[in-house]
Amino acid sequence: MTSDILRSLFQKFARLNWGIIFLILLISAIGWGLLISAAGGDMQPWAFKQIMRFSVGVFIMLTLACTDLRWWFHFSYIFYGISLLLLFGVEFLGSIGGWGAQRWIDLYIIQLQPSELMKIALVMALARYFHNQSLPLQFSKLFFPLLLIFLPTILVLRQPDLGTAMIFLLMGGMLFFAAGVSLWLFAAGLIGTAASLPLLWNFLHEYQQDRILTFFGSTQDTLGAGYHITQSKIALGSGGFWGKGFMQGTQASLNFLPAKQTDFIFTLLCEEWGFMGGAFLISLYVLLIIMCFRIVLTTQNTFGRFVAMGMTVTFFLYVFINIAMVMGLLPVVGVPLPLVSYGGTAMLTLLMGFGFLLNVSLHRTLKIPRLSIGMF
Amino acid sequence: MSQNKLYVPQGYSGASHWRDARIFHRALDMARTRLLIVCCSFILAFFIIAGRLVDVSLLRGSGEANLAHSHSLQARHFRADIVDRNGELLATSLKTSSLYANARVVLDTKEAALKLTQVLPELNYNDTLHRLQSGKGFVWIARHLTPQKQAEIIRLGLPGIYFQQDERRVYPHGELFAHVLGYTNIDNQGLGGVERKFNELLLSQETPLKLSLDIRVQHVLRDELLAGIEKYSAQGGAGMIMDVRTGEIIAMISLPDFDPNQVGKMGLHKEALFNRITLGAYEMGSSFKIFNTALYIENEISSLTTKYDVSAPLRVGRFRIKDFHPAHYPLTVAEIFTESSNIGAAKMALQMGSSLQKPFFEKLGFFQPSSLEIPEIGSPLYPKQWSEPTLITASYGYGIAITPLHLVTAIGGIVNNGIMQSPTLLKVDPHKEKKGKRVVSEKTSEMMRKLLYMIVAQGRGKKARVCGYEVGGKTGTANTLNGKAYKEGSNLTSFTGAFPMSRPQYIVLIMLDRPQAIKETYGFNAAGWNSAPVAGKVIERIAPLLQVVPINEEKIVSEGNPMLIHVSAPQKGAH
Repeated sequence: MTSDILRSLFQKFARLNWGIIFLILLISAIGWGLLISAAGGDMQPWAFKQIMRFSVGVFIMLTLACTDLRWWFHFSYIFYGISLLLLFGVEFLGSIGGWGAQRWIDLYIIQLQPSELMKIALVMALARYFHNQSLPLQFSKLFFPLLLIFLPTILVLRQPDLGTAMIFLLMGGMLFFAAGVSLWLFAAGLIGTAASLPLLWNFLHEYQQDRILTFFGSTQDTLGAGYHITQSKIALGSGGFWGKGFMQGTQASLNFLPAKQTDFIFTLLCEEWGFMGGAFLISLYVLLIIMCFRIVLTTQNTFGRFVAMGMTVTFFLYVFINIAMVMGLLPVVGVPLPLVSYGGTAMLTLLMGFGFLLNVSLHRTLKIPRLSIGMF
Repeated sequence: MSQNKLYVPQGYSGASHWRDARIFHRALDMARTRLLIVCCSFILAFFIIAGRLVDVSLLRGSGEANLAHSHSLQARHFRADIVDRNGELLATSLKTSSLYANARVVLDTKEAALKLTQVLPELNYNDTLHRLQSGKGFVWIARHLTPQKQAEIIRLGLPGIYFQQDERRVYPHGELFAHVLGYTNIDNQGLGGVERKFNELLLSQETPLKLSLDIRVQHVLRDELLAGIEKYSAQGGAGMIMDVRTGEIIAMISLPDFDPNQVGKMGLHKEALFNRITLGAYEMGSSFKIFNTALYIENEISSLTTKYDVSAPLRVGRFRIKDFHPAHYPLTVAEIFTESSNIGAAKMALQMGSSLQKPFFEKLGFFQPSSLEIPEIGSPLYPKQWSEPTLITASYGYGIAITPLHLVTAIGGIVNNGIMQSPTLLKVDPHKEKKGKRVVSEKTSEMMRKLLYMIVAQGRGKKARVCGYEVGGKTGTANTLNGKAYKEGSNLTSFTGAFPMSRPQYIVLIMLDRPQAIKETYGFNAAGWNSAPVAGKVIERIAPLLQVVPINEEKIVSEGNPMLIHVSAPQKGAH
């Protein structure tokens, strides 16, 4: 009996998409190198901790990959509900309970951030909902998934976490698009968003308004809100084609560059390894996303497809928003560079996401029956 | 095989009804199209990112030139240290950070200038703003910042503001060697003193430059000079100690002085930069009687006991030559020297004539600037035509102005067995014989030493006496020129002493500018009352440091002391 379980586990392991795992390891290793450089050639204070977190994350990823996809299908709404409750918790109870502005729950090795958990839960909930609908999605069936998206979006906007809100909305939109929602509805949605912008504007904190103003007003205030981006551009420019070499980045090592080990680590890469370094990392990301898309395209069950799609889109959004932000193509929103930036929560989310991707990849041919209980 | 099968909606293959099949087919089409669009948009997004990366990192490359600039500076080694004769550090270079800006990268220049001036109050706002708006790729903002200031500026987070490692010249002893060492400018180029004279050497060599100075002696000299200036309310002072056998300058002080670490902050006190010892040319007064007497003895005009009548003032043209302490009886040549009689000196000079005096002065180097290794070297002032009044006034130190350095060098030659060594600030190898210039005979030198010794032992220089050491010397009190007229009571007093007098090694010069008469000096302000005691105190402190062996005090006063000559015995009782 035990040997059967072990054998099936071994078979699952053998069938895992090792190409994706190898790419994840390679990209993360680049991140460790950069963190060592950012610390002036020391494993402390960042690289060692990052490797520890990565190890924990990979363990969780592989565990998730070997679970049964149907189990997640059944519990997706509950998962979503718990995540939403936790999000409420840090938003409302957090401030009461004296946590201050913390957005996370401290689990010692890894800080659990409900908004990160929600990124996965939202994908699962939407995937489950779409699984039970006949596609293309009808207009009347849109309200429930929209609610699924907007509830957490409003909560994270209040935190305020512009980056995560943006990922929720864009990822949700992508899944809607893939689910075949009429293009007219997308047009209407865009117009509606544009109309409600002045209202949304008031929701934003002053610094967020500043950042957006800075972005559209280009670099008027290079010392205040535009500081990040100006320094980042200088650093990117100073790298040239081959870069200044490992640990030679002046902008980063002289601390001109804030958040050099977190959100702006791509700048450090470009300063030290030049255009070639940046292009190499982007190529790795593209390769990884192509492999993920292959899973999306070959998965037979709708739930799996949408889960894989959601995870891929989330990963893509992280990469795109971060790099575009660093290079001044988007306003500065707090989005890390996936697998490379220092920080536990985003990495855990991403590795969990990849865990589900690998899981879907394992269960590509699995048939999941539609459930037709009530409105679900 | 089935692993890589493209997505087919569930139930598609099992649809039997044609209508169901059509719906499934549409759904499949839609799903594939939509996925394709998503794929394409992702690819487009990556193309945008890649394009931007090319744009930012390749097309707009900046800052490389600045980096190259700082690298070239880092490659160079520091300006060499300067040490004293015992290897004590006198000047060194420290690594510091300097602030520069790439004015093309600084965008809000006004705010940048405002923030910088807040952290660095010494910066001028308008000036800083002007620099930041210059549009140049490299402008200095502030030099040689402390690590604290550097940290504060980094914290400001200004774009386009960078730091560069450079060096700053540091003089650990502050004012102590101000005039000798000089100072450097902000770009590490020597601007005065040894720093300027040896600028190229200091920039190119790595081994420290060893000077002849002795930090201990220098300290004593400055200490006593400062005390003397305060005690006699003098306007300033100067002092110098030289090894007469080698010409090495052991100490050299000019007061007021300055802190070479902060020359830029001196403001209005620029006159402190003036080196009185080497640059200032003064009429030396009675000190010149040394040369007058030496010349007299050297040419054997007469014996030391030859008497001159000094009771009546001497008329030369429109001037009347008087003595400070008129003697109403004839004085011997020795007494004229020890009692410092101007009338007597003038009469001796008249007997010798300018044909002897002028070449002798030339031989002593009074018509040439000194060859000392600093740029601040003053030229002596002397009349082109050596007329009779010149001959007379020069005998007691007027009408010709030389630097104190000239005076010390020449007297050094007189007391050093007649061999004059050119002064130097560099340490002389003790094993190498340094060839000097003979100015007087050994015999003359010996006689002059005895006379100088007598001045201190019994004459006007008594206050320079130091217990245990044979000190000899001559006072000099010169009225300072105020416009065109000499001002009575406004003196430049000096004392030039040598020790040990039986075989002199060190010569000490003390000068005080306009010392005031005080209660202790009974209303006098001549050199014997102020410069001489300062010199005595200096010798008392430095003689043990310089390892000059003290002699038995009884020997000094005993009749058997070969240094004592009795040239004034007949007159003593009469006075």
